[in-house]
Amino acid sequence: MSGLRSFVARRLLLGVAQTVAVVLLVFALTEALPGDAAVALAGDQPDPARIAAIREAMHLDRPAYERLADWATGLFHGDLGTSLTSGRPVGQYIADGFGPTLLLATLTVALLVPIGFGLGVLAARHEGRLADRLISSVTLAVYAVPEFALGVLLVTVLALRLGWLPPTAVGYGTDLLGHPAALVLPVLVLLSRPVCSLSRLVRAGMIDALASPYVAQARRYGISGTRIRYAHALPGALAPAVQQLARTVDWLLSGVIVVEALYVIPGLGTVLLNAVAERDVPVVQGLAVVFGVLTVVLNLGADLVAHRLAPRAAVAA
Amino acid sequence: MTKRGHMTKLRTARFALGVTIVIVPLVLALLGPLFAGEPGPRTTSFTVGDGHWLGTDFVGRDVWQQVLHGGRPVVLTALAATALSYLVALPVGLVSALTHRRWLEELLMRPLDVLLAVPSLLLILLAATVFSPDPVGLALLVALVNVPDAARLVRAAATEAAARPAVEALRMQGETWWRMAVDYVGRSMLRTLVADAGTRLTGVLYLVATAAFLGVGVAPDAADWAVMVDRNRTGLFVQPWAVVAPALLIVALTMGTNLLFDAALSDDRLSERVRGEKLPDATRTLRDGARSEART
Repeated sequence: MSGLRSFVARRLLLGVAQTVAVVLLVFALTEALPGDAAVALAGDQPDPARIAAIREAMHLDRPAYERLADWATGLFHGDLGTSLTSGRPVGQYIADGFGPTLLLATLTVALLVPIGFGLGVLAARHEGRLADRLISSVTLAVYAVPEFALGVLLVTVLALRLGWLPPTAVGYGTDLLGHPAALVLPVLVLLSRPVCSLSRLVRAGMIDALASPYVAQARRYGISGTRIRYAHALPGALAPAVQQLARTVDWLLSGVIVVEALYVIPGLGTVLLNAVAERDVPVVQGLAVVFGVLTVVLNLGADLVAHRLAPRAAVAA
Repeated sequence: MTKRGHMTKLRTARFALGVTIVIVPLVLALLGPLFAGEPGPRTTSFTVGDGHWLGTDFVGRDVWQQVLHGGRPVVLTALAATALSYLVALPVGLVSALTHRRWLEELLMRPLDVLLAVPSLLLILLAATVFSPDPVGLALLVALVNVPDAARLVRAAATEAAARPAVEALRMQGETWWRMAVDYVGRSMLRTLVADAGTRLTGVLYLVATAAFLGVGVAPDAADWAVMVDRNRTGLFVQPWAVVAPALLIVALTMGTNLLFDAALSDDRLSERVRGEKLPDATRTLRDGARSEART
């Protein structure tokens, strides 16, 4: 079992390296500011008082390595710094936007898994027939479409023409659960791409598994089709799908940013976009670290789970 | 009919469908500016009719004219970004696959593994905070976030080709590195690369359009389909065409491109295999690791 242990050790090491790299990359952002960082950040209002305030707030008069050390220590203790525009701690920004984003992400993943697996298994069962061709073609087509274009068309048709759903979440604040109708369109749009990629992977994995010798052997034993499908073939198709599920975190993140902008939902994506627009570097950095580390951790977890499900995949050349 | 014949028929149908869907946005994007003519005087925002076929936009410009101009930046930026990412990925992937120096391989590939960990749109927004990029900057950024994955694919394809007996023979004949790397290995992985370029272009189109929608790399009043969708949203109730027309064109462009490339390229068994391998990332890292260990 040394193979397993060394895999886990190597994967953990990569995860740690990735986390450190994310932190360094995000810190390097301040250093990459052209010219005098404080002047660059003051932007449209370059009055000396504001420049001095920014320099003070970001400790720009101290050497870079000292600031990095301070910032990293702060991160370690959960202190993400203070906003340049409002003076509020970055942690508070994140706490404010966390609820709506978590709600969107949870709902999306909760629906994504059954729909993605269901469509994939359905298509694999009817390989080459109408259901498969329909599912394969539609998922292939929708897979590539940017969320904002799809979202705005859905708003026009479902909200404005037909009047079934509210066009945005304006006026509901962070209390989205109290207004489930406002959540339908955002979650639908967020689901569009991941469902397609997941169901395509499950379909491919299931077709491979159903054609494999072990399934043929199980058939020869006279095991029922349903049991073969779900107890024997599906687990084999699961490993790539679990990894894809983690990769969709990347997509979910860009999806969340777009969807929150589109439907005016006050989540983390909106906080990030506002901070980018105001060049509020500490807030952008704090959010980037949170998002980046989250992605690293989820990918790490998925790889370990996938390895557990299909240990041979790692050995096969 | 055999299953294979069935799949071929399906592929032909998809190819035709892809061409049909992509032709309108592509022609508009490439030739639109030639037919746009002189911009008329600005009138009231968000009007319908009144000599404007698709009405007017948020600053009173003719929407149809904006549509004619707005496709080119999306398509050109995406094409440039895809080309640029290969410009970097090809040498990096080739050298790391063909070198016998382990440290060089690690030096080239490890940093990319780390970059892969950061979500693409997050990287682009991070850079946008600091640089306020122009369209060229946006193309560079999108190319940069695509380099890690492209380089890994090049490396995987090149390693496979370099392990063939033909390369051994070339080496024993004392052929130059250049002839082996470019002439033989480069040529034998061409199909894989073309297939990957198709999928990559689809992803790049998505990223370019989404970044533009979020205001990265574009002027706030630029004639760009994604910017039009964003800026004209305020008038969605009174003048939906200013949003719906560019949104439909973006949907058609991305959908059609994906259908087209999938149909055109998926008949290649090899490309299927390498593309299938592309998704589970850790398996690949691990396999790469195992392979390089086996070689030393």
